[in-house]
Amino acid sequence: MATSKGAGQASAPAASAREAELQLVERCRRGELGAFEELYRAHSGRLYSLACRMLGNAADAEDLLQEIFLSAHRKLESFRGEAALGTWLYRLGMNQILDHVRSRAGRAGQITDGLDDATTLADPQGHRLADRAIDRIDLERALAELPEGCRAAFLLHDVEGLEHREVSEVLGIAEGTSKSQVHKARLRLRGLLRER
Amino acid sequence: MACERNIDRIQEAVDGTLGSIRRADLEMHLTECEDCRALYEDLVRIRDAAAALPPQQVPDRAWLQIAGRLRQEGRIHDVQKPAPARRWSAAWLAAAAALVIAIGGAALLLQHRSQPAPVAQTATAPRSSSGNSAPGKSVESVETVQNEVDAAQQQFEKAITKMDDLRKANMSALDPQTSAVISKNLNIIDQAIAENRAAVKAEPASVAARETLFEALRQKVSLLQDTISLINEMRKGNNAAAAQLVNKS
Repeated sequence: MATSKGAGQASAPAASAREAELQLVERCRRGELGAFEELYRAHSGRLYSLACRMLGNAADAEDLLQEIFLSAHRKLESFRGEAALGTWLYRLGMNQILDHVRSRAGRAGQITDGLDDATTLADPQGHRLADRAIDRIDLERALAELPEGCRAAFLLHDVEGLEHREVSEVLGIAEGTSKSQVHKARLRLRGLLRER
Repeated sequence: MACERNIDRIQEAVDGTLGSIRRADLEMHLTECEDCRALYEDLVRIRDAAAALPPQQVPDRAWLQIAGRLRQEGRIHDVQKPAPARRWSAAWLAAAAALVIAIGGAALLLQHRSQPAPVAQTATAPRSSSGNSAPGKSVESVETVQNEVDAAQQQFEKAITKMDDLRKANMSALDPQTSAVISKNLNIIDQAIAENRAAVKAEPASVAARETLFEALRQKVSLLQDTISLINEMRKGNNAAAAQLVNKS
């Protein structure tokens, strides 16, 4: 998550940051609560925001945040440092978030397919978006209407500031797919925001 | 409608990944094509608005609940365990005595709400003792190790009873959800204590069984201390400080 906003690692040399992460992970493995709290404080805000925006429900997001960190504590044994700790946590968290979203959608019988080009390229009549400010609430509501794949990629790239390469790592997709999903999401958001 | 052949270039320009030559070419096109310019400007505004979305505030209780569950599952410890000592039971006795003194401070705090809560300091008291740091002449005067263990256990239980009474009398300061989580966690620890007591009863000479029992008792003390700290800060209306203080304990 080296390039995500507020990651706090960009200013330190990469090797030193990675070494610090490995030391923190080692302390967590030894069962030090303080070390795990440090990890939690560094990453919980972004994961919680992601969960809130993916689930559209703060209570569910809070429950899932707990599960994500409990699961992270269990799985730290398998963390080898190949990816940045933040990316590893994003991947772990996003997998659980998407499982939850899909399970909920499955129960509700919703279709959560991706956007097709006809939908995203539709150019409804209306004012240009650039003629007015984008209201934060409107944007949050429009985000909630995106299919989960597009939404996840958009949130990671445009909201959290990850690069497409990092988005592809987190979501387990090709870099080109990340670009495609983010681009479709922007076009769909444009359409939704112009309708408001 | 924007020119379909330019949409990818526009998106790449918004991403900031368009090469300089292609970008110059696109910019020239944007001066001539109103639809493409509108699309570019709209997408930039969406990207900027998304980047400016504020992070959601994580509720303070989330960490408390995670820490509580990690404790229940025995996957964490708050500080380093003391090195094995020859007279380990004396360490427990000293720790329990320190705890009883600490409880008095916690009780006082609940009666004087405006004072800061030093409970976080007391949390480390039981673990800071070692076999060589028992107070005064007490260690050598105790007749047997068994007696020391029994006495330590009684002190712990006495302290726990006092703290639990305090907690029960003041739980109204906490929101129902937090109360429910704390009660659930206490029940789980109580169950562990009961099982460990049974193990000690079955094998009175087992050092490991006693250590495990004391560990369970200490977990209960730790949770009760966290709860009392939380109540203190909630009463002062300082949710963030409550979480901070408890988390440091």
